[in-house]
This record gives sequence, C-alpha cells and structure tokens, in this order.
Amino acid sequence: MDLAQLLNGLAYGALLMILSSGLAMIYGLRGVMNFAHGALYMLGAYLAYEVTQRTSFWAALVLAPLLLAAVGAALELGVFRRLQHRSHIEVGLVMFGAALIIERTIVLIWGDDTLPVKAPSALDGTANVLGTDYPAYRLLIIGVAAVMAVALVLWLKRSRTGLHIRAASHDTETAKILGIDVDRVSLVVVALGAALAGLAGVLAAPYFSVQPGMGQSILIMVLIVVVAGGVGSIGGAMVAALALGLIQTAGNVWIPSVAVLVPYLVAIAVLLWRPSGLAGKRVA
Amino acid sequence: MSTTAEQVPSEVPATDPAALLAPAPVGSGLDRRTVLRGLGLAVVVLVVGLFVPDVISDPTNMGIATDGVVLGILALSIGFLAHRSGLISLGHTAFYGASAYGLAIATTSWDWSPMQAIVFAVLGGTVLGLVIGAFVVRTPGVSFLVLTLAIGQALHQLVVQDSVRETTGAYDGLAVTWGADDKVAGIAQADIGNAATFWPLAWVSLVVVLVVLWLVGRSRFGRVLEAIRENEERARFSGFNTYVPRLIAFTLSSAIASLAGALFALKASFVSPDTLSFVTAGDSLIAAIVGGFATLVGPLVGGVVYIYAQSELSDSGNLQLFTGIALVVAVVFLRGGIVGAVTDGGRKLRTIVQTRKGAGR
Repeated sequence: MDLAQLLNGLAYGALLMILSSGLAMIYGLRGVMNFAHGALYMLGAYLAYEVTQRTSFWAALVLAPLLLAAVGAALELGVFRRLQHRSHIEVGLVMFGAALIIERTIVLIWGDDTLPVKAPSALDGTANVLGTDYPAYRLLIIGVAAVMAVALVLWLKRSRTGLHIRAASHDTETAKILGIDVDRVSLVVVALGAALAGLAGVLAAPYFSVQPGMGQSILIMVLIVVVAGGVGSIGGAMVAALALGLIQTAGNVWIPSVAVLVPYLVAIAVLLWRPSGLAGKRVA
Repeated sequence: MSTTAEQVPSEVPATDPAALLAPAPVGSGLDRRTVLRGLGLAVVVLVVGLFVPDVISDPTNMGIATDGVVLGILALSIGFLAHRSGLISLGHTAFYGASAYGLAIATTSWDWSPMQAIVFAVLGGTVLGLVIGAFVVRTPGVSFLVLTLAIGQALHQLVVQDSVRETTGAYDGLAVTWGADDKVAGIAQADIGNAATFWPLAWVSLVVVLVVLWLVGRSRFGRVLEAIRENEERARFSGFNTYVPRLIAFTLSSAIASLAGALFALKASFVSPDTLSFVTAGDSLIAAIVGGFATLVGPLVGGVVYIYAQSELSDSGNLQLFTGIALVVAVVFLRGGIVGAVTDGGRKLRTIVQTRKGAGR
C-alpha cells in the first residue's frame, strides 16, 4: 500500500467520520438510529451542486450545512420531539420512511442523472505530499474532517452545552431533574448532526458522483460504523470510521476480489465479539 | 441497546416495538376445540382460495394477487419475528435470496427436478438461518437490525462478485430452467409464468404458513417467546432458557422467508441480485409494518398492497415516495398497521352501536 492509497483510505474514512459523529450524537441523545442520515448527506450533495452552479463551491461549503441544520431542526421539532414517548425503534422506522420521502423528492427536483460538481479551481491540481503527487481536493476533505473532529471533541468536553449534551446522553432523566433543558440540547444536537451530514455531502460531491443511490449506499456503511464503534459513542464512531476507511482501502489493494465484503465481515466480527460495540457506552 | 433500557428508566420499553404496535393479545392458548376450529377454518379458506383464478379473470390482477401472496409470505416471516420476538430484521433477504439462488442453481446448473430444488432451496435457507441465528439472536435492538442488514448486504456483495460469475451470473442474474418433462405441482416450465396456473402452489404454501404461525403463536412456546420479548431478564430468572426459543423463532422465520424465495424464483423463472438488495429488505419490512404485523394476516395484506402499489406506480417511479409516506403514516398514526386500524375501527363502531342501543332502551 503506497502513500496515495493510504490517503484515499483516510479521505473515505474522513467522510464516514463526519457522518457517523453526527449520527452517534443523535443516537446518544434521542436513542434513535437516524435512518435518514444518508438522505441528509445526499441532500447536502445536491445542494452543493445547485449552489456551485449559481455561485461557487466555497459558498456551497457554508450554505449547504446551514440549510441542512434547518432541516435537522425541523426533524427535531416535527419527529423526535413529538414522538419521544414512542419506542426508539418506531421513531427509527419513521426516519426510515422520511429517508425514502427525502430521496425521492430530491430525484423529482434534480432528476435521475449523475450530476457533476467541480472541485474549486484552486484545488483542482495535485499537491506534493512527502514526494507523492496527490489530488489536492482530497487533502481538503481530510483537513476539514480533522478540524471538525478536534473542534467537536473540544466543544463536547469544554463548553457548557457540551457538558449538557454529555450529561443528557448519559442519563436523560437525571439530566432533566438537574435542570438541563433536554429538548433544547436535542435541538442543537439534531441540527448539528444534520449539518454535519450536509457538510459530508458537500465534501463528497466533487469526489464521488452525485447520484440517486448515494445516500443509501453510504447509510449502510455509516450504520455499520456507528454500531461497531459503540452505539452513541462519538469517539468510538470516529475511530471506527477511520479504521473502516483504511481497512476498505487495504482490502482493495491486497485482496481486490473480495474487498467489498471486507467492511461487512469486519463489522459482523466486531458485533459478534462485542455486541455493544468497541467503545461500549462512552459518550465522547 | 440493553444499556439504553437501563439508561432511560421511563415507561417506554426500548426494545419491543411490537408491544407498542400491537394491542394486547386477546385470548390465547390451545385446547382441542380451538385447534379443530382453526384447522377447519383453514381448510375452508384453502378450498375457497383455490377458486380465486375463476373470479379474477384479468391476468394483470391475477399476477398482482400471486406476486402479492409471495411477497406476503416474506413479510409474514419478518412480521412473525418482529411480533413474537421483538427482533426487527433488515436481513431476511439473506434467506429469501439464498433460497432463490439455491433453486436457480439446483435446477439450471445441476439439472435437478423442480420439486427436489424447492426442498433443497428451503432446507438450505433454513440451515443458513439456523447458523446465522445462532450468532445473532443474542444481539439486542438496533445492533440486531444493523447486524442482519450487514449479513444480508455481505451476501449481496458476494453474489455480484465477478469471481463467482460462473455460479451466480453476477449482476446478470440466473435463469431458472428445468427439464421439459418435469413438473412442479402439475405445472410445466412453459406455464409457470401464468399467474392463474401458479396460484394453487402459492395459495397452498400461504395457508400452510398461516396455520403454522397461528399454531406457534397460540402455543405455550409462543407465550414463552412473548415473555422473553417483554423482559428477557425476567424470563431468564423465571427459569426459562431464553436463547433456544429465540433461535427456534429465528430459524422458523428464515424457513418461511426461504419458502417465499423459492416461490419467487419459480414464478419469475429468473433470479437477480435484487432479491438480496437493501431495497428488497427495506420494502418487505415496510410491507410487514404497514400491513400490521401484530395480527396474523397483517403482513400478507401489506405484501398485496405493496405489489398493487408497485404495479400502479412503477411508471411514475414514485413507488419509493409512497412507500415512505405509508411507513410514516402507519407507524405514527395507525399503530397496528392497516389490519390493526380496521379491527380497531370495527371495535369502536361496535362500541358506539352498543352504547346507542343502551341509551335507546
């Protein structure tokens, strides 16, 4: 495995990391597996296409996550808050239905075709990384993901809201008794989770193709990552996402014939070995 | 997920959707009279059902009915597991698809007779279910769902590999062909695509499945399953083995899914990787939920409705949109699904009528 392949694995893992940290946060707080996360990612990518057409990619990088945050807030108010007394699996199924609706609506608006999104011209070329020429845009993905990861962990560990999130994720009832407004915390978390899904979508748009199946295929990977990392654990999800990206790339290099199977087999092995995931139950 | 239950000590049981989707079971238990009455009803339904092709003369509608029954059997297998064990599976395509492929390979590549191939396919799917179940039934809640999804998708990826093209046809799929003289339930290869000819095979399979599920649901074993679903720990402390019953339920469920897969492959005379896809897994689960898996026939109704919607909406491509809406509406508003809503409505109507009568007196 040479450096370029390693970086490819990192770039893919970075996207999974951005997605899975949002999914894990929502799961931690509401106990609901957000099956619409892939659809939100897809929406982010299509918004990136639309905004890039009109203005520039950089505008898309800011606008799409903001729009997705609004979608997330709507989901919190319309679904998670209203159905918080229902069983978590029921709410998960509602999100599954929401995903189907969102994905089809996107196709009705933008059509069935694969859409091109160009990387910004400044990052169109290659950069020299330790003697290897590597597409500069993919370095941006890795960079953004790294900044996001550090910022998210610091925010969760140091800020007051972060403290409330960790408390509410650990024990919702006790957090309520201690005066934490769990509904407000949840609004922040779901909006942020959706915004992160949108961010991943924007970043993925120039890298992968923007097409109708993109949400579903990445959803499966992200679900595997979050469950294998330890449901609700943001740190566990981040580590598992990077590991999965690297494992998948290693599989592509060393055993190309069965490489696509590797993530599933690893996830199955992890879950059979530790049903509650690698990190068990730790929030950050 | 077991941690979630401890973490949220609210009145909401996190891992048993069925309890919330379902009205409490009304009267159960199996005495000889109940069994005889049930079997008698089954025989009547079986015989009456055989005349369906005489009533529905339009081949398109007959096709919908037959495909609906086949998908209904798959949905029944998923709904049974969800209702009795609280285990929501997104991986029953593994058994459905494995069985369909088993049938195609046995007939086309090995020149087996279709009857032998059906037995092989269903047994193969069941053994696969037993092996997978032995590992997964311990896994709680959402982990179970994701684990079954991963297993189903792994199988999908395996089948479309170029390296197994010789055996599975990769993305091209496999045709199901058997000898000109061989017949299955009196149907030759040339007539199998005719829905009216195929109907008896599908109908008899369906009635057998319904009878088995009904008997299992009302048996002592069914009660034990429900006890485990409601509270695994309490059932264990009461001296029940909680692993074996769940494994048996999972295996039975996979056997039924395998039967559906074999029927599908026979009817279509063709198997494609779609039988193993995420979409098939999701849609069959949705059919079970929208129909209402808390009742015996709910998933069947869901399967038929889904196939009908598919035939109506396939031109516009909006099937996915309406599937999503149906799922949201069924979970949020209907709770017991279509069948649950109808029986609820009937009960309410009766109450209203009775109160009116009471007031009139």
